[in-house]
Amino acid sequence: MITLPAHQYGLIFRLVEERDAEFILSLRTDPKLARHLSATENDLPKQQAWIRTYKQREALGQEYYFLFENEDHEPQGLVRLYDFDGKTYTSGSWLIKPGADEFAAIKADLFSASFAMNELGFERCVFDVRKANKKVLRFHLMFASVTGEDELNVYLALDRAAYERKFKYLTSIIKPQE
Amino acid sequence: MNVEQFIRRFAEQFDETPTHDFTVDTRFKENDEWSSMTALSLIAMVDESYSVRLTGDDIRQSSTIKDIYDIVSAKIPNQQA
Repeated sequence: MITLPAHQYGLIFRLVEERDAEFILSLRTDPKLARHLSATENDLPKQQAWIRTYKQREALGQEYYFLFENEDHEPQGLVRLYDFDGKTYTSGSWLIKPGADEFAAIKADLFSASFAMNELGFERCVFDVRKANKKVLRFHLMFASVTGEDELNVYLALDRAAYERKFKYLTSIIKPQE
Repeated sequence: MNVEQFIRRFAEQFDETPTHDFTVDTRFKENDEWSSMTALSLIAMVDESYSVRLTGDDIRQSSTIKDIYDIVSAKIPNQQA
């Protein structure tokens, strides 16, 4: 069982709070980082209001938005689990602060997938990646199956067996105690 | 394993830096584009192209493209024999 905040891979994973609005905005409005995400207005009160609404969904077990910190409690990035539908969920809003640990992306992916599959009991993750987001797409194609595509996105799915292959592979790169 | 081809594939992980800016001596972590996502993409490229698994330590201990090239070369099974 994962207890939050969770100390894993040298990072501390916890649920987003209203006080994180500024950090979230700093990543989501960074032109380089957010170019493959849906646009976010640089509006702090609006972001705070969004988090308040999110916390209601979180309380109902409908969505989980994680912020991860380094051991000095400095925020490093974000990842979100949402669109829960039976045994299926979506993972996204994956953003890493420039200068973070060079494996923070892998660590966040490992944590969030493990939380979804093992803690919440999901069996399948469906998600999309912008075609232009080549780095992330290359990574996901190592494990996930393509279920479709359009002009902008590739649509992918990762079932439990693929998740387990991915977990084994990634933990051979990043040791859980790191 | 061809070093020029390796450099080109390595360079392709960087979306905004022209390929010709990369040489074996390039200190890739000093490139503004180097990030957690680039590291991940590099691992995927090496796995896909050379069937070699880079570890966190391999990347942490490397500074130049040659450092990574040497690690990959040493890990390719038919070159170890």
